[in-house]
Amino acid sequence: MVMEYEVVIGLEVHVELLTKTKLFCACPNRFTAEANSHTCEVCLGFPGALPLLNREAVQKALTASLALNCEIALHSYFDRKNYFYPDIPKGYQISQYFIPLGSNGFLEIEDDSGAPKKIRIGRVHLEEDAGKLVHGGAGDSAVDYNRAGVPLIEIVSEPDLRSPGESRRYLEQLKSILQYAEVSDCKMEEGSLRCDANVSLRPKGSTVFGNKVELKNMNSFKAVEKALEYEIERQAQILRRGETVIPQTRRWDEDKQVTIAMRDKYQATDYRCFPDPELAPIELTAGEVEAARRALPEFPAQRKSRYMAEYGLPAYDAGVLTATRGMAEYFEACLKLYDDPKSLSNWIMGDFSAHLNAAGLEPQEAPLTPAYMAALLQMIDKQLISGKIAKEVMAKVFATGKSPREIVEGEGLLQITDQSELEKLVDEVIAANPDSVQSYRSGKTKALGFLVGQVMQATKGKANPQLVNKLLIEKLK
Amino acid sequence: MELGYITAAAAAEAVRKREITARELVESFLGRCTALNGRINSFIHIFEQEAMDQAEVVDERIKGGEALPLAGVPVALKDDLCYSAGPTSWGAAALKDFHPPYTAAAVEKLIAAGAVIVGKANLDPFSLGFSTAASLAGPTVNPRNPDLPAGDGAAAAVAAGQCLLALSSDSGGALRIGADRCGIFGLRPTTGLVSRHGLCTAAPSFARVGIAAREAADIELALQAIAGYDPRDAATAAVKEGIPAAQKRSATKELKIGFPEAVFDLLPEVDRASLEKSRAKLEASGAAVMAVELPLFQEALHAYCVIAAAEASSNLGRFDGIRFGIPEAEANMEDWYHKTRGRIFDLEAKRRSIFGTHLLSGENFDAYYRQAQKVWKLVRRSFAAALEHCDLLVLPVAVSPGNGCEAGGDFLASYQEKLFCAPVSLSGLPALCVPAGDGAATAAGLQLVGKPFGEAALIALADRAAL
Repeated sequence: MVMEYEVVIGLEVHVELLTKTKLFCACPNRFTAEANSHTCEVCLGFPGALPLLNREAVQKALTASLALNCEIALHSYFDRKNYFYPDIPKGYQISQYFIPLGSNGFLEIEDDSGAPKKIRIGRVHLEEDAGKLVHGGAGDSAVDYNRAGVPLIEIVSEPDLRSPGESRRYLEQLKSILQYAEVSDCKMEEGSLRCDANVSLRPKGSTVFGNKVELKNMNSFKAVEKALEYEIERQAQILRRGETVIPQTRRWDEDKQVTIAMRDKYQATDYRCFPDPELAPIELTAGEVEAARRALPEFPAQRKSRYMAEYGLPAYDAGVLTATRGMAEYFEACLKLYDDPKSLSNWIMGDFSAHLNAAGLEPQEAPLTPAYMAALLQMIDKQLISGKIAKEVMAKVFATGKSPREIVEGEGLLQITDQSELEKLVDEVIAANPDSVQSYRSGKTKALGFLVGQVMQATKGKANPQLVNKLLIEKLK
Repeated sequence: MELGYITAAAAAEAVRKREITARELVESFLGRCTALNGRINSFIHIFEQEAMDQAEVVDERIKGGEALPLAGVPVALKDDLCYSAGPTSWGAAALKDFHPPYTAAAVEKLIAAGAVIVGKANLDPFSLGFSTAASLAGPTVNPRNPDLPAGDGAAAAVAAGQCLLALSSDSGGALRIGADRCGIFGLRPTTGLVSRHGLCTAAPSFARVGIAAREAADIELALQAIAGYDPRDAATAAVKEGIPAAQKRSATKELKIGFPEAVFDLLPEVDRASLEKSRAKLEASGAAVMAVELPLFQEALHAYCVIAAAEASSNLGRFDGIRFGIPEAEANMEDWYHKTRGRIFDLEAKRRSIFGTHLLSGENFDAYYRQAQKVWKLVRRSFAAALEHCDLLVLPVAVSPGNGCEAGGDFLASYQEKLFCAPVSLSGLPALCVPAGDGAATAAGLQLVGKPFGEAALIALADRAAL
């Protein structure tokens, strides 16, 4: 009999906070290509320079902790994690080792069967990022400290995840919540979200954990899932052979799609953590925590249910519209000006999203503002333009930034609803297509479509199709 | 005008009244800086040109009608205070040729008040010591007695009349012990009163920017210039809304002075005698001297040594040859760090790094570091409790030279030198070291320890009691 194993996964996620400045100095927290240009005596660790805590970072970390349902430490402080590496300028990293800002939280995801499942979050703490090593071709290396001192939060889950799929959904959910709360942009490809995974296997039913392996260097959610799948299979094979998994740190190799051993765990460094004597403790009042809690946005799960209940949208639509805070806010802004949720949803999920993706824009940056969107859809409803023309107009708004009305009027796209004008065209089409007229009269109703098409073509799509239809049927009687 | 023995207050007034120009004043002191330095070795860098340029600026400001409290006053800086006009070596090979792009907050404020920086004073590497014995430039000679150590280059420069004021640093007592050795006044201010921005330190919990002067009144003049809120040092938030109202200046005869008998019992007999005389003078000045207890006084030194070493091991971690110090470039980073740090660190820096690393490792953290933190808290409380019954405390500064363990001996024994100063560092309270005795270089001085932000009371008493 083949032994069945249970997979145990815990994730450690680092997220860069969206603050104006770094954690302990006034250097901008922004990406720049010019190495070491966003640096100063504090983030370079010059002697005599003192760190100054950025309260905006504390506020973001507090918001993140609350969004992840954590308990908040009203009194916490920073510790130094001492070690040597060229990318840390001071010989230590400032972190929260002894008391994290947030603890005992959770995140709700769906398990592999689609049932809701709570994943416990052990801690959320604030810390500074390190710089980046740039390796040259000739074996030489340089250091760029632009990233040194950028505020991070580390979010550590309990070992509650049971599959690579659950892990991916946990990350997606986490990303969505942190984006909603405007804590981070969470772009894993750009490094503003980084994830390490701890994974072990144990016989089904066992309550003790197996030897765990830490996985590093995954650069996308897909890579996390793939690395976990690979590693689970690797460990299962070892266990099936009756051997023991070595507790170690392994690196995911994206090209070869395998994990490679980096170092064994028993070589773990003693970081000699102690409270940073240059920084005052972080003190929060219950009032500040409550204010931050009240300021939390409506999160995707709540918003999705509300869209379904309040606007009668299908689950799929509600899910797409609430996937990012920007899209949901765009939808709601449009809805204030135009109250047909389903029609709006169709247009947003369809052409609007396609244009955004093509231009690489966020909904808030779209030339088609909520006011323009509402105006466009109202023109369809009033039969001033057809749906087909509306698509063209939307494309032109994205291309030119002009208002839909300006485009419709400027290019003469208004639908022709003048009956006498259309009757004339219908008569011409009937006269020019005797064969089709014959077919229709002999019962082939399909021929009507062709004749409508001919009228539409003659008006460059501006004719009101319903009216053309009606007129043709009357004239062909 | 005999400029060598003028007070800072009188010199500034003469410049303000245009009896003398700042240039003349500074030129005269620069002459003494250079002339005496070969013998005393108090300076490791003299700003000959920069100081004259600065004096000219002061003269212009005076002409412009500015009432500068420190007009033209020549000042020495211990070389752990950053000053962008020149190099700041912190006495260490790791910072050779380091020109800081910023100036320490206290130095900026002095310059704004009209002071002129004449030079950077000698110190032990990374300020780890109170003798200058380990200085790369060789030790500073005590101007009062060439056979005795000076303790602090900045204090020696003041005592030798090379300048009228000095800013120095005090962690476990370097400034106080130096001022005591050289027979001048030395102030360690209350925590949070003076910005530490730009002060290089291996012991951030304890390092403070202090003042050395030959007159107590000059200490006050300088303190008024450098005290106050600075957004770059979060600890000065304590004085953001202004410096807490200085305690009412009681007349000396209303003062109650706490005298911890048990602490004085730790002194050798020879020092007790001279300190008894000083105490008698205090009583004669009309103050009531009363007995107080300072429990855990001896344990305080151990707590100080543990915490200071732990912090040094971390604060000196940045000197790894990547940004500071010429590296021993090795392919293996482990070798790089060993070789580079092995070369750019002196013996004491290595000792503290290793000692501190040991104290923070594994189970030692709870056994030593946590315990030391607890002792620290208790010591702070014991000083506060003693000051509930009196206005200020009087304590020895150090065992007199020749009666203690001088640097160069057993290193643990040499830490004993801080026995009377380190506990005060833990307390966070202001301490003014007062030259005692009849000017004999062998006499031991006293330090007056006040309530938080009670500097003015200490200075007033020191000025009047004429110990």
